[in-house]
Amino acid sequence: MTLIKDSKGRSKAPLTPWKQKSKKEKKPLPGVASLNGRWGYPAIAPFFMIFLIFGVAPVAYSIYISFFKWDPLGTSEFNGLNNFIFLLQDSDFWLAIRNTFSIWALSTFPQMLIAISLAAILRNRRLKGKSFWRTILLVPNITSVIAITIVFQQLFGRDYGLINGIIGLIPGVDHIDFIEGIIPSHIQIATMITWRWVGYNTLIFLASMLAIPDELYESASVDGATKWQQFKYVTLPSLKNTITFVLIVGTIGGLQVFAEPQQLAADGGSTKQFLTLTLFLYNQAFLNNKYGYAAAIGIAITVIVLIISAINFVITRRISGEGGR
Amino acid sequence: MKKLTTRNAFLGVIVAIAVSAGLLTVPAKAADPITLTIWTFGEVIQPGLQREYQKLHPEIKIIPIKNDVDPLHQKTILSCQTGGPADIIAFEVPYSGYWRTGNRPNCFQDLRQMKTTDTNAAAGVAAGLSATDIKKNYLPWRWEQGVAFNDSVIGIPTDVGGLQVAYRSDLFKKAGLPTDRVAVSKLWPTWEKFIEVGQKYVSKLTPAEKKSNKGFIDDAGSIYAAVMNQGTVKYYQPDGTDAGKLVYKTNPQIKKAWDTTVKALNAGIGARLGQFTSDWNIGMNKGAMATILAPAWMLDYIKKQAPDTKGKWDIADLPVGGGNQGGTELAIPSYSKNKQAAYDFLTWYLAPEQQLKVFKTYGLFPSTSVLYDDAALLEYKDEFFSNAPVGQIYTKGVLKLKPIFEGELQRKIDSTFGAGLGRVASKKMTSEKSYALVISDIDKLFRN
Amino acid sequence: MKRNIPKWQKTSKLHYTMLSLITFLSIFPFYWMFIVSSNTDAEISKSPPSLVPGPRFMEVAHKVLTAEGVYFTKALTNTFIVGIAIAVAQVIFSAIAGFAFAKLHFKGRRFSILFVVATMMLPSQLGIVPLFIMANKLHLVNTLYALIVPALVTAFGVFWMRQIIDAQVPNEILEAASIDGASVPRVFWSIVLPSIRQSAFVLGLFAFLAAWNDYLWPTIVLQSPEKFTLQVALTQLKPLYGLDYALQMGGAFLATAPLLILFIFVGRRLVSGVMDGAIKG
Repeated sequence: MTLIKDSKGRSKAPLTPWKQKSKKEKKPLPGVASLNGRWGYPAIAPFFMIFLIFGVAPVAYSIYISFFKWDPLGTSEFNGLNNFIFLLQDSDFWLAIRNTFSIWALSTFPQMLIAISLAAILRNRRLKGKSFWRTILLVPNITSVIAITIVFQQLFGRDYGLINGIIGLIPGVDHIDFIEGIIPSHIQIATMITWRWVGYNTLIFLASMLAIPDELYESASVDGATKWQQFKYVTLPSLKNTITFVLIVGTIGGLQVFAEPQQLAADGGSTKQFLTLTLFLYNQAFLNNKYGYAAAIGIAITVIVLIISAINFVITRRISGEGGR
Repeated sequence: MKKLTTRNAFLGVIVAIAVSAGLLTVPAKAADPITLTIWTFGEVIQPGLQREYQKLHPEIKIIPIKNDVDPLHQKTILSCQTGGPADIIAFEVPYSGYWRTGNRPNCFQDLRQMKTTDTNAAAGVAAGLSATDIKKNYLPWRWEQGVAFNDSVIGIPTDVGGLQVAYRSDLFKKAGLPTDRVAVSKLWPTWEKFIEVGQKYVSKLTPAEKKSNKGFIDDAGSIYAAVMNQGTVKYYQPDGTDAGKLVYKTNPQIKKAWDTTVKALNAGIGARLGQFTSDWNIGMNKGAMATILAPAWMLDYIKKQAPDTKGKWDIADLPVGGGNQGGTELAIPSYSKNKQAAYDFLTWYLAPEQQLKVFKTYGLFPSTSVLYDDAALLEYKDEFFSNAPVGQIYTKGVLKLKPIFEGELQRKIDSTFGAGLGRVASKKMTSEKSYALVISDIDKLFRN
Repeated sequence: MKRNIPKWQKTSKLHYTMLSLITFLSIFPFYWMFIVSSNTDAEISKSPPSLVPGPRFMEVAHKVLTAEGVYFTKALTNTFIVGIAIAVAQVIFSAIAGFAFAKLHFKGRRFSILFVVATMMLPSQLGIVPLFIMANKLHLVNTLYALIVPALVTAFGVFWMRQIIDAQVPNEILEAASIDGASVPRVFWSIVLPSIRQSAFVLGLFAFLAAWNDYLWPTIVLQSPEKFTLQVALTQLKPLYGLDYALQMGGAFLATAPLLILFIFVGRRLVSGVMDGAIKG
């Protein structure tokens, strides 16, 4: 799990833990022996000091807080495991899980499909303007969530939005309320996420595809395989690891979706139809002043991430065990 | 440079007077111009008046910083823990209960301990006035909303959100309804009648208009707050304690407000336009609604958002009569470094003279009850609203208001009910189920 | 000149159509921002809405830039300061620590790496409440330091640099240099740093972009408009002017434009950075 976090904490730039692992096996004593190892401590010390204070301590502190009823302007009292017990009984928590995963699914699968198809097109060495297409794909990724949410919100407006304007042209079809409806609201948010990340993922897939030797396609072509067959039997099998990877990184990013739903409606909608886990955490902390409860939610999110990572670990193990590359 | 020196000189004189009067501890940087940072929202701080004050006091720079109401509340909470740059903070009446209880009044300066300097003497604010001295100018129950339970005065009221019905006389005419404001007011002595009129109006709409989501009222959900505020008790019943007794499960007024609103929702008279959304703004221009339950402060918003509808609007009485919505307090955070300047500004800004000016230009209804028999207020008419005597109409409504105890989590509970009605409006839940969910959501607020 | 193109490499019109469509969709929201901010609200709210730029853009831009209590230009400067400070710090700290993790042999190394990797799985929002409490105790609230200090290092940056140095700097060269008597700092300075320049730049870019677009933390920790970053300033336009679309979109456009301009220059490098980081096969 390697990620740069952007504003929403979504992950970027995956690397490859399993690739690195195989390297480690090759060199049991990594590093350059002739370099004085004692320099290692001063080299990592500045990083570690800042990291421990601003990266690790808050996490430890929030574990502590999660056992308290903690109101910044009220009283703080020890609350035992109550925050966690309440959390499990809180219907909002389960709604948030449902919404988070629904938005995740609605953004991840279409995204994968589009990204893989685009990558397959871009892989073609005869394509004109390769560099241009690739670069343009990354444009949505660099823009701010806030600015883009403003745009999409308007495009998705129920009565006067551009998208409903187009839908309204179809006779007999009513405007869709992209806020009140559960699935429509998820679609709106998923569209923003997809728009932002599809190009990025295309490049990830493209990188893996470019690593597939041309000869494989050539010989398949000589054997009379159609384009589709080439894609199915040559391209897809080589993407196994990348697909898993994009899925996992997408999941962690998906668990942190915050700004889009918050900009749509700070409370997550009237039926909490787009209350996501992170928005739930934020609202409990900063709207309801329940710092302890919010910390408990944060821990729950962490547990979910760990479970998913564990599943990922098992799956990747199995895939590499089967001889996947 | 020259300007700066005159400023300094001017300020020096003020400081000297203040110090000799023993009213002011000398600020460390007495020579610098004072900057007053105001955390506010909406139209609470009016640019016109702000300019006027700066003309009176070139040595003071006023910087209003706007936020939406709820984010501002969060910011206020955070800054109370950390200190912050604000010298004046606006908070809405529904949040007053929160700030008045517990140790939270400590977040704000007790205004009883402040005294005006003579800096605004020429502008009508005498020197040496504490909050206790100016209290008499204000509507008594409205004043109390700024008084904490430890008796410190934490906020001074700006406006009273008197509520009336703004209606489109042109659309009423089209639907065969009377257009004269007296006749229109007579149409709806009760909320039931109001809903009936709405149904009549909606039945005259063409299918195309219905498809494009036009309706009688912008948002039928807004009826809830109007009915609630016509009662005497909301979610907290005064019982002699600071906190009050929680009655959100038992108060019959809530059930009445809820049922009336649900009836309106089911009657389909609303355009389902959430207030202050983009669709609402556009809908206002397109005649998507014929009525809006409009607090005085909303009139200016309508003018700004739909300037082309000038002359098509008029104002009628609220069903049953006497409605209230909103209203704001201005407070000085305890961490402010310019408390005296802030207090001097506040006492000027919220004095009757200025409130009258604000009403005339922006429609915010004054909280200074000394004005309520002032001819300038009563005779004021608004061209945009077909020359309706808005001064008289809103005064009549405000005088009918009874004080309501605003409890600690008032705003949260209000918005929870609002969300509940939203669910009914969008047909996501039945009224019963949604109501039950509201109650359990509120239970959660008090749990951990 | 006509060469025989193998069948499997042929491109079709369909491919270009699809790519053009994606390009259109990628660009459209920016174009829409410009349309809305250059037209009157009336133009935009009629159906079908206007799709050509109107004459109002300069007026709107001026209004955004001079909006009272927003300080858009100041926000722009702040965002640049924060972004560059974070980018530079992350590159320096990550490169040094990454080098140690990749090439130096010391006790506790393996554990430290594992620890760093493990923390990368934690959602960033987990620590936000305590972080605020800490920032308050350290008197960082309402200063740009509150944004910079916690972002000086990231677990990701260190891990990324470790991977890059591991892969791009051959052990043999370092060995040869050290046998010739070069000290560890010297080896780092004159061999490692020059060979990871490109990747370091990409890391810096990522850090800069993340800082530019960060929203949650700045809204919590900044209080005065002269301290705001662009994203926070952007959210100030709505309460200030109500739902004036042109203004909001104008703000969004102005907040995005610097990035788009930057992108023209560094877009290709970013693309190669992303692709270098991907799994090959």
